[in-house]
Amino acid sequence: MNWEQDRSGESPQMELELEQALKHFKASMDAWSGAAYSRPRSATQAAVRHTWRMAASWALGCVVVMGSLAGAVHVVVHRQEMARIAAQKAAQKAAEERTAAAQVTAQPTSAQPVSTQSGKKTPVATVRKVSAAQDSAQAQDEDLLASVDSDVSREVPAAMEPLAQLMDDNGTQ
Amino acid sequence: MAAGTAVEPMTAETAEDIAAQEFARIVESHRPQIFRFLLSSLRDVDLAETLTQDCFLKAHRNWKHFRGDSSAMTWLMRIAINLQKDYWRNRRIQFWRQTRTNAVDLDEASEWLPNGERNAEQQMLAREQVAHVWQAVKGLSERQRTVFLLRYVEERELREIADATGLSEGTVKAHLSRALGRVRTELRGTR
Repeated sequence: MNWEQDRSGESPQMELELEQALKHFKASMDAWSGAAYSRPRSATQAAVRHTWRMAASWALGCVVVMGSLAGAVHVVVHRQEMARIAAQKAAQKAAEERTAAAQVTAQPTSAQPVSTQSGKKTPVATVRKVSAAQDSAQAQDEDLLASVDSDVSREVPAAMEPLAQLMDDNGTQ
Repeated sequence: MAAGTAVEPMTAETAEDIAAQEFARIVESHRPQIFRFLLSSLRDVDLAETLTQDCFLKAHRNWKHFRGDSSAMTWLMRIAINLQKDYWRNRRIQFWRQTRTNAVDLDEASEWLPNGERNAEQQMLAREQVAHVWQAVKGLSERQRTVFLLRYVEERELREIADATGLSEGTVKAHLSRALGRVRTELRGTR
């Protein structure tokens, strides 16, 4: 190379040093590029890295899809559960309303108030108890009237004659 | 024309074969130089290999348009310089991207020296000088660096550098002068 073209007005020592430095620089670049040019290529390594990257992206994709599906299933199940609970509550409320209506209709006909000792009995059981008490009270009344009639007829037979006659008249007619 | 010297008409296939052979020869002879120029510009072995591949791919595509106005080496250098420019431009545009770079640092680049007959002291001195030149190259503008490397690594003539870079010879000289001034400053700083 013609160094004379590139020389400046610097001192000869400086120019010599510059020339040496540039020669060393070129020799260094030759050595580096020669070594890099003839180095073994890492094509297989790149392929392996590529495979790993593909596997990782597939795994990530699968995780995302599975997560989405699981989320969707969870939402559906949650909604179904909520609907079931709501239906159960509505049915319970309707039953309570029916019971309350039955209680309201049964209360005016009862002869005496039903004693609720525990206060925890169900309305249906209370209604049954009320009707049983009414039946027993009616039977007691009839027994009492029959015993009075028999006592009167035994003690005072004449007192019962008009009544017996009246009954006979009714039977002949 | 005598029967023994009759020339058969060249078919299109034959012409293509010849062109392919010629291109293969050019690749074989010029590839190491293109790679060296790109390596010195980028300090990245993988990137230099990739851009060298791109350079010859581009050259192959445009081979039929090569008219031979300049030498094949100058033509290839022009392609390599443009590829390198595109690379730096893309890096500047995509500055927000965390691009993976394998560029070696200046100390590592300075470690490379041929195994000559020099003693340890001379080797150390040479390594220091190389490190100072790298330091100066790092501070050069893109154009100054290209001109400097083409002149002092690839040992191209001023005319060839002007052809490859698209600059005038006067501009090439000016860039070289500034680049050398910076190297001198670096070397002077060591004294």
